[in-house]
Amino acid sequence: MAIRFLEFVKPFCVLLPEIAKPDRKIQFREKVLWTAITLFVFLICCQIPLFGIVSSDSADPFYWIRVILASNRGTLMELGISPIVTSSLIMQLLAGAKIIEVGDTPKDRALFNGAQKLFGMVITVSQAVVYVMTGMYGDPADIGAGVCLLIIIQLFVAGIVVLLLDELLQKGYGLGSGISLFIATNICETIVWKAFSPATVNTGRGTEFEGAVIALFHLLATRQDKVRGLREAFYRQNLPNLMNLLATILVFGIVIYFQGFRVDLPIKSARYRGQQTSYPIKLFYTSNIPIILQSALVSNLYMISQMLANKFSGNFFVNLLGVWADVGGGGPARSYPIGGLCYYFSPPETLGHILEDPIHAMLYIVFMLGSCAFFSKTWIDVSGSSAKDVAKQLKEQQMVMRGHREKSMIKELNRYIPTAAAFGGLCIGALSVLADFLGAIGSGTGILLAVTIIYQYFEYFVKEQTEMGGMSTLLF
Amino acid sequence: MTLPSSSSTSVGGGSRGPSKSIAPRSSGGTTPRQRKAPATGGARKAAGSSAGMWRFYTEDSPGIKVGPVPVLVMSLIFIASVFVLHIWGKYKRG
Repeated sequence: MAIRFLEFVKPFCVLLPEIAKPDRKIQFREKVLWTAITLFVFLICCQIPLFGIVSSDSADPFYWIRVILASNRGTLMELGISPIVTSSLIMQLLAGAKIIEVGDTPKDRALFNGAQKLFGMVITVSQAVVYVMTGMYGDPADIGAGVCLLIIIQLFVAGIVVLLLDELLQKGYGLGSGISLFIATNICETIVWKAFSPATVNTGRGTEFEGAVIALFHLLATRQDKVRGLREAFYRQNLPNLMNLLATILVFGIVIYFQGFRVDLPIKSARYRGQQTSYPIKLFYTSNIPIILQSALVSNLYMISQMLANKFSGNFFVNLLGVWADVGGGGPARSYPIGGLCYYFSPPETLGHILEDPIHAMLYIVFMLGSCAFFSKTWIDVSGSSAKDVAKQLKEQQMVMRGHREKSMIKELNRYIPTAAAFGGLCIGALSVLADFLGAIGSGTGILLAVTIIYQYFEYFVKEQTEMGGMSTLLF
Repeated sequence: MTLPSSSSTSVGGGSRGPSKSIAPRSSGGTTPRQRKAPATGGARKAAGSSAGMWRFYTEDSPGIKVGPVPVLVMSLIFIASVFVLHIWGKYKRG
């Protein structure tokens, strides 16, 4: 059965587009260029509205999941990277559970990759169909069958474009992977927009600018009482204020500072005498994985709860899961949980809210820290970065730890790795909570994702720099 | 503080899969210059894997091979055609 599944998808895989591996070494400058081009295409796709949609003003059921899926409402990037992520998550779970057995041969792995891609495309189509048919863009009867089909085609082609762009970067034409690049871009875009947006919003006290920095100047210029104007720019509600912006910058700084924390284990080559190096175990051993898993879990919970609340509102168990209310305000229309389990899993909106409902804040902190530590610890076993795997890798590269045999090496690694993973996950969770409490722009989860991804890119740059000489010779 | 990134392992980056390897720290930090060991040949490949957190394998899957330029052209054509659709829609309504 197992092999047969891969055999079954084989004929379809042959038809899939596949980026050819580069036949030469791509220069760093060219990589930067391709990454920029990819980003450019993604950003354009984020801005072009889908053709044929009637409305997209209803409360957004996917608001919570958009951050990690790099998707923008009503645009070509409506689905974002969600088909890719969903398909690989499911396929890898199936492979992990041995429902699909993947042999150890390169051919099997290749087929598995192909199957993952094929599944991604199937998910794209089905998600597009579901979106259109459930009336996310207006009643299908109003839109008409032809335009419905057009919307589905647009979403499908956009999905393929994202898939190919991601593959383009991963195959070595660019830096990193499309997925992380798109997530980081989306979040950074939000932050920049919230800071400098020139859009005006009509609040009760007259028109105000949405962007925090622009609003500062505007308020200082127009208000008679400058001190009150300044205070308003810093603490205004519903719209991004300067405190949010400062909190965002603070969290950025803290995360980058913590990235440098690590334990260096000295290792040496078994084959070449005198070659010594160190194996660093970072505090953020699993990087942003716990946050991704945690937010994927919570967003899915929110989605299910919201759907149930729409269909069977009033039911005791549904209310236990979550009670939702639409909140307008300055931001995009979205539902907030106001009761039930989802409420306690959602971050408190403001600092004042913590004082109003300390139980909510406490439960939220406990849940965030616990889940992040748990996911982080589980992840090292799943992803093959546990002490045993690291010891195996070191052995394959003929490296040994100074003063340790292989058995004791595992023990030595085991002293650090699970601790680093659990504690690192805990820290990530704590930072995310901190960001949420301070009201940082783009949610704590989002910022942490962005910072860790940007840091990874920074590492690429520095690595290239140390390998090839000064940074200036590369970029200019 | 030494630059943390002078370590070139990809484990911390949430990487996974068999292509991971550990390279000696390149000579950016406080460590003295080291000989480049032949054993580090696999390090180059691992560099890309730290961000590819959802991939187990790096093997090519079978399929129609396309270069990067056709992909770019295709996506631009797609964007252009959506533009054209929008313009056409405006005309039809007005």
